[in-house]
Amino acid sequence: MAHEIFMPKLSSTMQVGTLLQWFKNEGDPVEIGEPIFEIMTDKINIEVEAYEEGILLKKYFHADDQVPVNQIIGYIGEPGEVVPDESPGIASDESTDDASKEESSSTEATVEVVDNVTSEGNLENEKVRATPAARRVARENGVNLALVQGRGPNGRVHEQDVLDYLKGNHVKATPLAKKLAQAEGVDLSTVKGTGVGGKVVKDDVVSVLQPATPAVSTDVKPEAKRVKLQGMRKVIADRMVQSKNTAPHVTLTTEVDMSKVKELRASLLPIIEKQTGYRVSFTEIIVKAVGQTLTRHKKVNASLIGDEIVYNEEVNVGLAVAVEDGLLVPVLNNVDKKGLASLTTEAKEISKLAREMKLKPNQMQGSTFTVSNLGMYAIDGFTPVINQPEVAILGVGRIQDKPVVDNGTIVIRPMMTLSLSFDHRAIDGAPAAEFLTELKRVLENPYELLV
Amino acid sequence: MSERVITYLEAVREAMSQEMRKNEDVFILGEDIGVYGGAFGVTRGMIEEFGPERVRNTPISEAAIAGTAVGAALTGMRPILEIQFSDFITIAMDQIVNQAAKIRYMYGGKGKVPMVVRLPGGSGTGAAAQHSQSLEAWTAHIPGLKVVQPSTAYDAKGLLKAAMDDDNPVIFYEHKLLYKTSWEVPEEQYSIPLGVADIKREGKDVTIVATGIMVHKALEAARELEKEGIDVEIVDPRTLVPLDKETIINSVKKTGKLIVVHEAVKRGGFGGEIASVVAESEAFDYLDAPIVRLGGKEVPIPYNPNLEKAAIPQVPDIIQAVKETVRFK
Repeated sequence: MAHEIFMPKLSSTMQVGTLLQWFKNEGDPVEIGEPIFEIMTDKINIEVEAYEEGILLKKYFHADDQVPVNQIIGYIGEPGEVVPDESPGIASDESTDDASKEESSSTEATVEVVDNVTSEGNLENEKVRATPAARRVARENGVNLALVQGRGPNGRVHEQDVLDYLKGNHVKATPLAKKLAQAEGVDLSTVKGTGVGGKVVKDDVVSVLQPATPAVSTDVKPEAKRVKLQGMRKVIADRMVQSKNTAPHVTLTTEVDMSKVKELRASLLPIIEKQTGYRVSFTEIIVKAVGQTLTRHKKVNASLIGDEIVYNEEVNVGLAVAVEDGLLVPVLNNVDKKGLASLTTEAKEISKLAREMKLKPNQMQGSTFTVSNLGMYAIDGFTPVINQPEVAILGVGRIQDKPVVDNGTIVIRPMMTLSLSFDHRAIDGAPAAEFLTELKRVLENPYELLV
Repeated sequence: MSERVITYLEAVREAMSQEMRKNEDVFILGEDIGVYGGAFGVTRGMIEEFGPERVRNTPISEAAIAGTAVGAALTGMRPILEIQFSDFITIAMDQIVNQAAKIRYMYGGKGKVPMVVRLPGGSGTGAAAQHSQSLEAWTAHIPGLKVVQPSTAYDAKGLLKAAMDDDNPVIFYEHKLLYKTSWEVPEEQYSIPLGVADIKREGKDVTIVATGIMVHKALEAARELEKEGIDVEIVDPRTLVPLDKETIINSVKKTGKLIVVHEAVKRGGFGGEIASVVAESEAFDYLDAPIVRLGGKEVPIPYNPNLEKAAIPQVPDIIQAVKETVRFK
């Protein structure tokens, strides 16, 4: 029997995923564990591996299609096996179970996510409200009820709503074309599709629209590129707004004399490189110092969840990593208990995964404090935005030689600015200042880290 | 074809008289049913035709009437009891529930209790709390009893014939307000089998299952709703036990919506049974709106005429329920 391949549910809030690319063509042999396609969720891009071996018999969706969770995307089976022409809808329970087993690590509680209603229809995180009749019609026609707009109380889907949806769906159209048609009030059934199998694509809708908007002026202005706020960009946008709107940010700054850290790094560099193959950077030393200091400042190593402040036992430091058109925060766990060599290895590897967009969801969860280092740029200090539900974040500026006064004489020292933003709901100025002061002391006497 | 129109009351009397002329075993007993003709005049004139042996006045004791009937039935007679007001069945309940309903079963069919308990029921006559109830759900709960609730003169005559022919105790609810309503009724005897519902009005938008007098209120509501383009189907089960589940289920499968209306108090009423039958059936997958029950308020029937009307479902209540239910069709 052919095995279903479906859109995996990678987090408790995931409703749809965007199919980014196929690695296999119909007819290609597939091994268990081999990546077959890549998807993008609102949090992550991930390669989906095959759970079965066989031949990729069918692909129902193309790149850039948005596919609801558990929707059947294709089939793997024996050569010549017959599979439906259209995606039969939601995968059967059994395989859903398999999926959740496979993905159990990632479906566990997620701190990351802002509830994210994407694309069309009722995609709230709750069970769809629908009458039995609506469910029957949806079942018979392979309609995902989550995509149907219900007109009843609290969005309850009635039979007629499903029938209307089906009517609208008789026209095959890309999600973009649908959205555009909806926004512009174009009846998709009147649009001639030029895509695969008569599928209506965006340009078809645009060409219908053109006569309706006659070109008034002939001088062509260069048009700005427009990119929809979606995927990771949307998550970042939502989370930044949420953090700024809920947490009263206060930022403290201090200058740290990095002379001894520089010495320490210079002497550890060859040792660690020999041991791990990686070159220890200031970031790892700062993270180590932060971890050490956090163990003595529980108030800063806390999370504000609901109406409770949770004083975390573990010290897990998130490391803000710039990626193409975005930002990810992979997590280094238990940094207070790790030596610099293993921290270096871990930080390098996880940053690489982040830049390649290959982080697993659990590698982005559970941080209790975040470090954002802009020291590689000409930045002295800044006001970082707290990575909620954490209550504080450390911004790291560049190290620059500056004249400072030491014992009444002006000397040149490598100085670095640290900026600590904290959530004033959870921490007050004094304990935050104590933490930052101690961090400065530790960095100025880094041999303490070796103790 | 009969063009003849008679009242519900006359139809009940005619059904009894025709059977009594044919079958010597059938007799009727109750309070003041002789010369007086019973509380509502149903048996008027019968004592003149059949004599006091077969139209028997009894003492004012429903327990005695029912007990006598059970004994008579066991010895081969086919008694018809008239209980003056259906409310008084509570006094006869031990005989009906613990004797009439059980004996045929407990003796492995060696004895049988063919009797009909006629019960004028319902409110609307200003008879107040002790003379206006609709307790049919009490009897419908008892295995061994059949329960009939005719809504028209035609149904009353045919169902009473079937009840008299049945070898089991049959509880026969007549509605006091229906006694005066007139219908075309054939002169000759005919039988409507127990357990066959009647679709009183065909429609496609919503199913109303109504019993007794509520059939007429539902029909009136349907005429109003038709003006607004809402097409109501009205199913009259006619007998609660046995219940024609199939007709109800098929109707709901067609319309996708169900409203149950009865005069009896909604809480614990038979409407809950009908709603459950549908919810448990294949019609479930066709339901496109929550099932609605309309029934009496949870109060004793008031004496004040305005309150008396307010205590049970009226036409505007049914119209409103229908509109609410078909809103998303």
